[in-house]
Order: sequence, then structure tokens, then C-alpha cells
Amino acid sequence: MAGTAKSRWANNEDDAAQEAQLKKEREEKKRLKAEKARKAEAERQAREAQTQANVARTAQPRDEDEDDRGSGPPAKRRRLSPERETRSPAPAAAEQDSGAASTKLLRFEGGAFGRCRSVESYDKLNDIEEGAYGWVARAREIATGRVVALKRLKIDPKDRGGLPVTGLREIQILKDCDHRNVVELREVVVSEDTSKIESIFLVLEFVEHDLNSILEDMPEAFLASEVKTLLLQLASGVAYLHDNCILHRDLKTSNLLLNNRGQLKIADFGMARYVGDPPPPKLTQLVVTLWYRAPELLLGATRYTTAIDLWSVGCIFGELLTREPLLQGKNEVDELTRIFALCGLPSDETWPGFRRLPNARALRLPPPTPSSSGSAIRARFPLLTAAGAGLLSSLLALDPERRPTAREMLAHEYFAQDPKPKQEAMFPTFPSKAGQERRRRKQTPLAPPRGGQVVELGAVDFSGIFSGRDKEERGGGFSLRMV
Amino acid sequence: MSHMANPLATPDQLYKRRSFSSLPTELQDAIFFSAQCLTQAAGVLLQLPQSATAQANVVLARYWLVEPFMSREFSDVSAAALYLIAKVGPSPRSPRDISNVYAYLLSPSSSFFRPPTSPPPANDPSAYYLSDAAYQTFHNRVLAIEARILYALSFNTHVSLPHSLAITYLQALDFLGARKETVSKRVVEHLNTALLSPQMLYLTSQPNALAVAAIYNAAKDLGAKMPECEWWEVFDVDREELGFLVVGMRSVDGWARKMREDVPGMKEGMVTRRMIEDEMRKRGLQIGNGHGVEEESLDAEAELARKMDEKIAQMEADA
Ligand SMILES: Nc1ncnc2c1ncn2[C@@H]1O[C@H](COP(=O)(O)OP(=O)(O)OP(=O)(O)O)[C@@H](O)[C@H]1O
Ligand SMILES: [Mg+2]
Repeated sequence: MAGTAKSRWANNEDDAAQEAQLKKEREEKKRLKAEKARKAEAERQAREAQTQANVARTAQPRDEDEDDRGSGPPAKRRRLSPERETRSPAPAAAEQDSGAASTKLLRFEGGAFGRCRSVESYDKLNDIEEGAYGWVARAREIATGRVVALKRLKIDPKDRGGLPVTGLREIQILKDCDHRNVVELREVVVSEDTSKIESIFLVLEFVEHDLNSILEDMPEAFLASEVKTLLLQLASGVAYLHDNCILHRDLKTSNLLLNNRGQLKIADFGMARYVGDPPPPKLTQLVVTLWYRAPELLLGATRYTTAIDLWSVGCIFGELLTREPLLQGKNEVDELTRIFALCGLPSDETWPGFRRLPNARALRLPPPTPSSSGSAIRARFPLLTAAGAGLLSSLLALDPERRPTAREMLAHEYFAQDPKPKQEAMFPTFPSKAGQERRRRKQTPLAPPRGGQVVELGAVDFSGIFSGRDKEERGGGFSLRMV
Repeated sequence: MSHMANPLATPDQLYKRRSFSSLPTELQDAIFFSAQCLTQAAGVLLQLPQSATAQANVVLARYWLVEPFMSREFSDVSAAALYLIAKVGPSPRSPRDISNVYAYLLSPSSSFFRPPTSPPPANDPSAYYLSDAAYQTFHNRVLAIEARILYALSFNTHVSLPHSLAITYLQALDFLGARKETVSKRVVEHLNTALLSPQMLYLTSQPNALAVAAIYNAAKDLGAKMPECEWWEVFDVDREELGFLVVGMRSVDGWARKMREDVPGMKEGMVTRRMIEDEMRKRGLQIGNGHGVEEESLDAEAELARKMDEKIAQMEADA
């Protein structure tokens, strides 16, 4: 008995020694893990800061999982959300703590690479949109019968720079995105003759409507509860993009799709790009369709932030309420005029630092009066609740710093108040023009042409825009001209 | 969205490259190696960030796992990969700059790919002067191959590099008690060498594994002390993959030396399709054996394009 006890004791001693060694190793690993997590986070931040334009390639997931050309439909892409794909050291460390016998290593999944398939894998059903520069059609994948939208990339064969970098960005960004409120890019296909890559098509999930067409056709405006559902989805998609350092830069109702289940999808990433945090020093101001363009862009800012997208969201909010685009300027100056008429004249108080923007230097403003710097939003939307008007006013804050982020917008009390957002599934359905017939051309201004010239604002007299609102203002107007 | 994963070669792609190409393995490797070196040299002359050049290296490697080697001139593919990566990134370079740099590197004036022992070549600017017509044809080829690369890779140009990850890991390992600069430099050297490996290490392993292997090798080189535990597991790398990569990275230098002896053309500048064809003929091999139909027609098409290029260049020279 004693012998056994002794030997057991001895055994235990061995075990203990071994245990101690193992424990030491585990602790070492744990220390490394924790250190690594800290460093990885620091690095991630540093990387985000440094990426800027580079981000487009260095900070993106690979999630391709496409078969070779001709060998049938591509396997459903392995979509991994940022959360799932980023290695989190926590669970692994916990495993080791519990003394799991074999270490579980995290596998990175980046998919595979291979050729594009041919557009001949699809049968065209009908044109959806054929405009100045775009072509979108409804098509059916032959192998599966699945209906998709084909969007042809705009290519200028005479462009000696090769394939357009904007189109390549559009593809890369869509490939990287995985969110219910962002349209899904299923694959990219090319024309059958691959000896010369002349036509490139984005194969997108087919979505029955775009919001612009719906608004044009609706006999009555959306209900408040419907507006809330749409806005929540828009904000949620925009928040996802901004979380991943993507600026959309062309949000407008014709770029928002809505399916028959009431789901909103942000589309058209032709202007989008990755930006680091802080954003690159100089971005093009030639972005965003005029009616949705933020005042800082109109005033010539080349350093701008995610707030430009939230201005567009504000314009969309207004449009959802009235079925009419909110700020239908005829040109840049007219757009600014309308903005100031709706949101008030900028002052050092409402928008500190606006005078430093290139086109604002020559802006001569009358001395501020309560009525000229105040917002006319409440007056223009008398049926909107106080919370709704508050949200709209904050989205349309002249000072980009004062606009809420998309995440903040999601938490706004407007959405918590009655009437509650309508369930998506309860959304009314609309006749799908995309599914049936060719769509009418719309009378909205086109997105700014890529590589175009900045428009000169010229000297314009703004006096009188407040004459209806404020008699004393008459004759004391302001003018804006390019420096 | 992952910032750390890359698409990898499938076993099938690797197998096909080795087994079904009409080119003997060592010729494939010679093409691969010399084109990767050329890309790096061009990246330096174009003052591209190291990361851009490394991404071009990886894109080039992926491309050749999808498209046959012989369908385009190797130096053109290298130029197109570099052009494309620079274009979608923060430091675009003009086709003109690219063409000047490649014309220089491929001219006898450049010491690129000539034995380090031989005297530096005389600088003869006329040897790398590009006529307008020659520039136009080069430019056309680069644009055609750019589109081809995108097609071959399904428009996915993303590459995650292991370099910054490796430095992060090193920090977590307290730089193995070695001098920060020394060990970091050694790690980066291993990672850059690995880009040249005909084992295509960047297509078989994820960045975390490459980073760990480079650290392991650097530690061995410098006699630095590594943690006693299986520290690579902390970075989600298993022993087997680490072993493969460690050996793979270490063998590049010796292998390159040996290849220079085995492939005679490699001492006379950048490997070209003509050189490979001559070598094949010498060995009594035929190009096109084992190629798919598509590959053969591609070869024919490319051959035609090349003849036209040569003709234009000739006309230009005569004029
Ligand atoms: N996935 C889709 N499903 C159904 N319809 C779509 C889809 N994508 C786009 N559309 C329709 O085609 C129209 C144009 O598409 P999109 O906005 O992407 O291209 P575009 O406006 O030509 O591009 P750009 O603004 O860059 O010029 C949309 O307004 C919408 O009506
Ligand atoms: Mg559009």
C-alpha cells in the first residue's frame, strides 16, 4: 500500500513537473496571444491610416471561389463576414486554458483563383436600363435558371490607360462586400471571344425595382412606417460600407434597389473607393450626382469624409417623404442656392471653417439674421414628427462634422417612435418594370463624368433667395464666384 | 472582409502545371524565376513601393498557374502585372515609364541577369531607345495582357502580403531578443526571396504562415533565441507547413545558382520565348505537347502577334 502510495506520489511528482512545464508553455502562448492581439489591433489601425488609396488592394478579403470557365456555374461564393474572418485570439486562448489536448488552429480562407466565365453562360431576357453610359439587362443563368442582372462595365477602347480604374474598383469593392443591404456581385463574366477582352459584365443578384422608378410611379407617398424601414436599411448598408473604409460617393434613389420582399440594396459602386482613416489628402470633387451633392463638395473640398454620403442620405430621406428629389439644382450655383435656402446660410457658427474651402473664399454673405441662418426644414415638412425633422436637419447639416454617422443614425429616436418601422415582409409590392419592359429614361442629372473638368461656378448674385422669407434681406444678398 | 487571407492555388492547378505542360520543369522554373527577378528590378527602377512590386510578383505567379507560359512574351507579362498593380494602387505609373524601364532592363546596357563577375556592360543609350512605333506596340501588348491577367484571375487583384504581419509577430516575440533592425531586415529578405521561389510559396500558403517561416529562418540565421514552446501555433501555423516553408525559403538561393548552370540562356539576360524554343529544339522536344486545344490556338495567335511586332520593329529600324 505504502509502495503504491509512494509510486503514485512519485508519479504525481513527474506529472507535476510535466504539468508545470506545460503550464509554462501555455502561459507563454497566452502572453504571446494577448500581445499579438494588442499588436494586431494597433497594426490594423496603423494600416488603415496608411492604406489610403492602397486600401483598395491591401486591405481586402479574397472570397472568390469560382470554377474554371465553362465548367458549370460558380460555386456559391464563400462569403465570410469581417467578424468571422478576422482571427480572434480569444476563443483559441480559451481553448488552451481549458487544457484541450490538441491545439485548434484557425484556417484562413481566401478561396481560389481562376478564369472568368463567358457571358454566354447567361441568356438575356430584357434590357433594364440603357442610358448615356450604362447598360443593365435582366438575364437567366442557363445552368441554374437563376435570374440575375448583368451590368456592362463602361470601357473606352481608345483609352490608352487600359481598363478603367473606376470599373476595377467597383468590382473589387463589390467582391469584398457581404451585407444584406449591399447588392451582391455573383461573378464577373466576359464576352465569348477571350482573345480580346472587350466586354466585361458584372453579374449581380437581380433586384426587382429601383427606388427612383417606384417613387415616380407611386400614386401616393410612402407611409411613415415604410420610410423608416427604408431609411434603416439604407443606414445599415452605409454603416457597413463606412466601417470598411468604403465611400460610396453616388448615393441617390436610382442607385438604391428594392426587391419584392421589401429589402433595400445599395447598388452602383462606379464612384466608390476605399479610403483610409484619415482619408487621403486629395480626393476628386467630381463625385455624387448634383442633386445629392454635399455643400462641402460644391465648395470645392478635396478632403472630405464619409459625411458626404450622409448628406446624400438626407436628400434621399426628403425624397422618400415627398416623392420628389429634394434639391433639384440646375447647376452647381443653383444647387448651392437651394441648399442655403433650405438649410440656412452658412456662418462661422453653424459651419466653422467653411470659409477656408476653395470656392467659399469669395462668398460674400449678408450679416446673419436668425431667419437667414435658420433651417426651413420644419416648414417644408410640416407632417414630419419632431424627431424626424431633427434627424433630417442633422443629416442636412451644412457642417459635415455635425452630421451623424450612419451608425449614430441607426440609433436615432425617430426609428423608436410610433409609427414603428414596417416589417420588410409587409411591404407593398410594385409592378416590376425591370422584370417586364424597358424602363423609361429618367430626367435626373447624370453622375459627373469620370475625369471631367471641375465646373467653374462663375460670379453669381444670390440676392433675393430669402426675399420671400425675410424682407430686410432684400438687396443684402451675397455672391459666390470662383477664385 | 479579411485583411489577411489570399486566394490559394488548388492542388489541381499545381498538378496540372507540373504534369501537363510541354515545358520541362526546369524551363518552367527558369521562366518563373527570371520574370520575378525582372519584375523586382523594374519595381526598383520605377521607384514603386516594395509592397506594390511584391503584389505584382504574386499576381504574376497566379496568372501563370492559369495561363500557359508560352502564350505571351515573359517580360511583357511582367510589365503588364506591374502596370496593373501600380494602376489600381496608390502609386500608378505611366505606360511610358514602364516601357522605358523594361526597354532598359532588357537591353545589353543593363547588367540585369548577367553574371556579377563579368565587367559592367557599357552604357549605350541607343540600345534602349524606344522608337515611337516600338513604344506603341509594347503599349498595346501591355494593355492586352492587362486585360488577360484580369480575365485569368476573375478580376481579383487583391494580394495580402505577409510583411507587416511578420513585423507584428516579431514585436509580439520581443524581436527574439535580437536587434530590432537586424532581425526585421532578415525577415523581410526571406519574404522577398520567397517571392522568387518556383515552389510558388505565396500561392500555397497564407500570409501568417509565410510570416512565421520567415521569422523562423531569420532566427536561425542570426542565432536568435526562439520561445521554447511551439510558438508558431500561436500564429495558427502547424509544424508541417512551417517545415515545408522553412525549407522552401532556404532552398531558393542554391536552387537559383544551380539553375543558372543548367539553363545556359540565363546568363545572357532575361529569358525569352525564343530562348526557350531554342532550348526545346536542342533537347528534341516539341512545344505544344500535352497542351490543350485552347493553349495551342493561343500559341498560334500569340506567335502571329509576335511576328507582326517584329515586322514593325524591323520596318522601323530600316526607316
Ligand atoms: N442588380 C440589379 N437588379 C435590377 N436592376 C438593376 C440592378 N442593378 C442596376 N439595376 C438597374 O439599372 C440601373 C443602372 O444601374 P447602375 O446604377 O448600377 O449603373 P449606372 O447608373 O449606369 O452606373 P453609373 O452610375 O456608374 O453610370 C439602376 O438604376 C437600376 O434601375
Ligand atoms: Mg446608377
